Amino acid sequence: MNDRETLLQVSHLCQYFKAGSFTTKAVDDVSFDIKKGEVFGLVGESGCGKTTTGRSIIKLYNITSGDVIFKGIRICAGVQSYKDAIANAKKEYAENIKKPGADQAKLKAELDKFVAEQREQIKAAKNDQKNCDKEYSAKRVKEINEKYKPLIESAKPDERAKLEKEYRDELRKARNTKLVTQIQMIFQDPIASLDPRMTVREIIAEGLVIQGERDKKVIDEKVYEMLELVGLVREHASRYPHEFSGGQRQRIGVARSIIMRPELIIADEPVSALDVSVQAQVINLLNDLRDRFGLTILFIAHDLSVVKYFSDRIGVMYYGKMVELADSDELFAHPIHPYTKSLLSAIPLPDPIYEKARKRIVYNPLAEHDYSVDKPTFREVRPGHFVQCNEAEYQKIMAELQSETA
Amino acid sequence: MENKLTVKNLRISFRTSNGKVQAVRDISFDLAKGETLAIVGESGSGKSVTSKAILGILAGNSIVESGEIIYDGKDLLKISEEDFHKIRGDKIAMIFQDPMSSLNPIVRIGKQLTEAMLLKGKARQRESKKTFNSYLKSLNEAMIKNNPSEADRLTESCKKFDKFEFKHIELESAYKKAKEAADENTDDIDKIAFELEKKSAGKDAVDRLKDIAKQAKDSLNTYVIDPAKYENEIKTLSSKLLPTFKAARKSLEYRPVLDILYRIRELTTEAEGKPIPNFFRMGYYLTFSGKELPDMPVEEMNAYMKDYLDKDFMLAFISDAEGALKYSANETYGNMKEAITALNAALSVYSKENLDMKESYDTQKSLAAVVKKAIDPLAIVKDSLSFTFAPSLKSEVDSYFNGIAANKKALKKYARDKKKYDRIIASGKQAGWELAEPNVTDLELVKENISRLIHRLIDHYDEALAAADSRNYDAETVDVINYLMTNASGVVDKVTRRIAKHRAIKLMDEVGIAEPHKRYRQYPFEFSGGMRQRIVIAIALAANPDILICDEPTTALDVTIQSQILELINRLKEERQLSVIFITHDLGVVANMADRVAVMYAGKIVEYGTSEDIFYHSAHPYTWALLSSMPDLDTNEKLEAIPGTPPNMIYPPKGDAFAPRNKYAMQIDFERQPPMFKITDTHYAATWLLHPDAPKVDPPKAVVDRIARMNSKRGIKDE
Repeated sequence: MNDRETLLQVSHLCQYFKAGSFTTKAVDDVSFDIKKGEVFGLVGESGCGKTTTGRSIIKLYNITSGDVIFKGIRICAGVQSYKDAIANAKKEYAENIKKPGADQAKLKAELDKFVAEQREQIKAAKNDQKNCDKEYSAKRVKEINEKYKPLIESAKPDERAKLEKEYRDELRKARNTKLVTQIQMIFQDPIASLDPRMTVREIIAEGLVIQGERDKKVIDEKVYEMLELVGLVREHASRYPHEFSGGQRQRIGVARSIIMRPELIIADEPVSALDVSVQAQVINLLNDLRDRFGLTILFIAHDLSVVKYFSDRIGVMYYGKMVELADSDELFAHPIHPYTKSLLSAIPLPDPIYEKARKRIVYNPLAEHDYSVDKPTFREVRPGHFVQCNEAEYQKIMAELQSETA
Repeated sequence: MENKLTVKNLRISFRTSNGKVQAVRDISFDLAKGETLAIVGESGSGKSVTSKAILGILAGNSIVESGEIIYDGKDLLKISEEDFHKIRGDKIAMIFQDPMSSLNPIVRIGKQLTEAMLLKGKARQRESKKTFNSYLKSLNEAMIKNNPSEADRLTESCKKFDKFEFKHIELESAYKKAKEAADENTDDIDKIAFELEKKSAGKDAVDRLKDIAKQAKDSLNTYVIDPAKYENEIKTLSSKLLPTFKAARKSLEYRPVLDILYRIRELTTEAEGKPIPNFFRMGYYLTFSGKELPDMPVEEMNAYMKDYLDKDFMLAFISDAEGALKYSANETYGNMKEAITALNAALSVYSKENLDMKESYDTQKSLAAVVKKAIDPLAIVKDSLSFTFAPSLKSEVDSYFNGIAANKKALKKYARDKKKYDRIIASGKQAGWELAEPNVTDLELVKENISRLIHRLIDHYDEALAAADSRNYDAETVDVINYLMTNASGVVDKVTRRIAKHRAIKLMDEVGIAEPHKRYRQYPFEFSGGMRQRIVIAIALAANPDILICDEPTTALDVTIQSQILELINRLKEERQLSVIFITHDLGVVANMADRVAVMYAGKIVEYGTSEDIFYHSAHPYTWALLSSMPDLDTNEKLEAIPGTPPNMIYPPKGDAFAPRNKYAMQIDFERQPPMFKITDTHYAATWLLHPDAPKVDPPKAVVDRIARMNSKRGIKDE
């Protein structure tokens, strides 16, 4: 797993929402990366920031601070952390300067230098956030130019017209391309996420049309291909969403997201609203597609059995923080963070005798941790297994692990 | 075990523009007290329709084709909407799937929680007061008529009964007030103790301590049973509180204040844990003997009171009440006999071809009076049915004559035409036109209704007269006294806004909502999904129902919350002996909750058994499919989804509805519906695979593997 290329890197992502006088820290300093071709599961209780993380990645929100790097290009960047750094530096300066014997000129120079650096960072972040799509489309345009220019020049006169038309089409598409279209989303509620006034064809083809595809035939062909891929039939293209059952609607949502040939799909609780049997159908479908296209999926869900079944690695979130991250087998076999333990103890299984005996572990963060002095950080306790803990807890965990292996 | 609810051969369909959708096709089950029945199935299998039928909230286009739902001896499909108001929410409550759509978005949570309590409380109190008084009054009248020579004594004893009911109200409200004070006390003590421990007690600390001291004195009432034990201690404690605090502020040593506070809290909680005394009996004792209460613990006192109550006044009262019952019954029987003759006479009047207006009015007037007279005054309160006869008779007859009055002109015209027509016919000619019927056809229907009503009345009276000999007056008198007692407590059970708020906050705390004081004032949209669902559960539980129907209550929630809510429902079920109907499609949840499971498909129950039966020895292919399409923590292979979709219930399939999606389907599955085969005493399944002639089929590998895995895991655990 480790040797694969990193597709998405999220580092120190923060997403705050201001509501009147106080700020809600929906996502607070979350870092993880997703390798190409893997399924990364994100679990946690409702309101812990899973969905917000997903939405921040796809730029539905302007993030507060941190970076999101997709395919080596920074697509989101927040500036709050730099602003905070400047404010801190200024405060420090104000304190230092009052001290007797302070070298005022030196301090001032240091401050100015620091502030200038941070301002540069802010500028870069803002620039990246704004121009990542432009850069990407410029790159695409360049690629297409390189591909078609020699072809056209060397082409015979009778083929030339056709080639030129193709070239113009591709060029137009490339100019409209955004990097974010490489990331697609599947939403939780198949009813609410489909426009009731559009036919299935229009819904699925919408992305293509926005991108600049004008040829009806091409669009139709692609739509039919997608419909067949997700297990629907061509005739369904001219129907409206309300004519479908829940599972079929979710299939339409899947078709809409894969028609853009994305590299990353953010599946935000795609099966939570479905019946068990339909749920199995949709999971099987996602599994098939993943094998077929080598899709990378960020799978957000709260049903742990499904997440365990579907994901390669799992991140556990609790109140905006990532508390544990590990391979799915490792996480379920050796949960370390008390919240993960409590979460695992809450899974209902189809086994009455086990269920009657199951005891849920209650997680009370105030009782479990003492973070008044030593703030917790995200540390690796085993290869690939990260836990949010402070120094004392880290020592304890390591000691336990050693005694286990010994 | 006692059966709470029985559903028999229920069949429900819906009229739609495309045809009749058969949502529920002939299902039967029963629900015992304190049991959880889980109904499992895909959406559209008729789970929710069944539960809505039980609650009487089916959509307008529904048709109940056959069957009965029996609760408390009554068929819920047949009782009137008025009677259903008393059952719905109060006796049978429901938790819906979508919490947002079952809460009002523009009303604060607190108001929604207390709304039902206040309304119900008010209505109950008003009703109780009314019935209590009317019952006592009619009893008293009957007693006096029965035994005129002792009229004075009887009136006196009724008054006494009334009086000690009054006393008992006073006692109970005093107790409630004291309890509330004690409750608030503990909260306040916690807060101030916390501040004192941090040594940052502010200006308002003095006020708070004053409050606590006052409330501690008030809560003395809590110990109305044996005050001597606590009186001195609490009095000294509360009087010491303020001076100690003043001293402590100087020395910054708050320990003594804290000690006092903790001691007060200890006493308060001790009192809270005490059994609640029977105020009715205490009230009786106080009124009757006028003595002070002796110092004795609650249990002993209750026992003592009971003894006293049985021996003395109560025995006399009971015998009087029995006499009164007999007297009023005899009186009524005589009136009933009269009424039956009058009714028979009226029946002949109404079955006449042409009704004379005046004659009918007279009949109706006399009839209503006779019917009213034949009603047993003591049965009125318990049996509202008889009470409705007289007015309904009046309204039926009135509408009949109103109809005729409106059609007077048409009738006159018809009479004229008829005359003309007859003349023409009589003269041997053929009329050139057809005689149109007067527009009174619907009046015939009303006439029929009247005679049906009269028939029903006659039947009712006949039944009552036939049962006269077997009437057990002893048992009935006990019932009457019990009825008076429960109604008396209903009169006391006064729900004020403050008590409702207190209760609501307690309930919110009970269902696991943090900071209920703050949350109480918020709007539904400020809550997350799990919290909203908790609110809905709290509202459902507010009325303390008998049967709780949970329609997919945790489908939209995440595991931890789901687990908490399931635990909550389980705990409440234990505590309150609730019967629960749990509707879901998540088999993991079913395993956790259910005592028995019914698997539904296409409006039928296809498998029915205890949860062990269903999970370890399932027999129906649909159950297998459900089990194998669900991943668990050890599943690695591809999931076996059920192919296809459920059938269109406008045209239900001829054979087994699951056959087209069933890989084990045989020829007969497409031709005939399988009956319920009995596997064990508790386990039934409707599949032809269980027929002796069917080939032997093993359950799918995923199911067998899982059971083996579970068993092996347990084996390891047991070692």
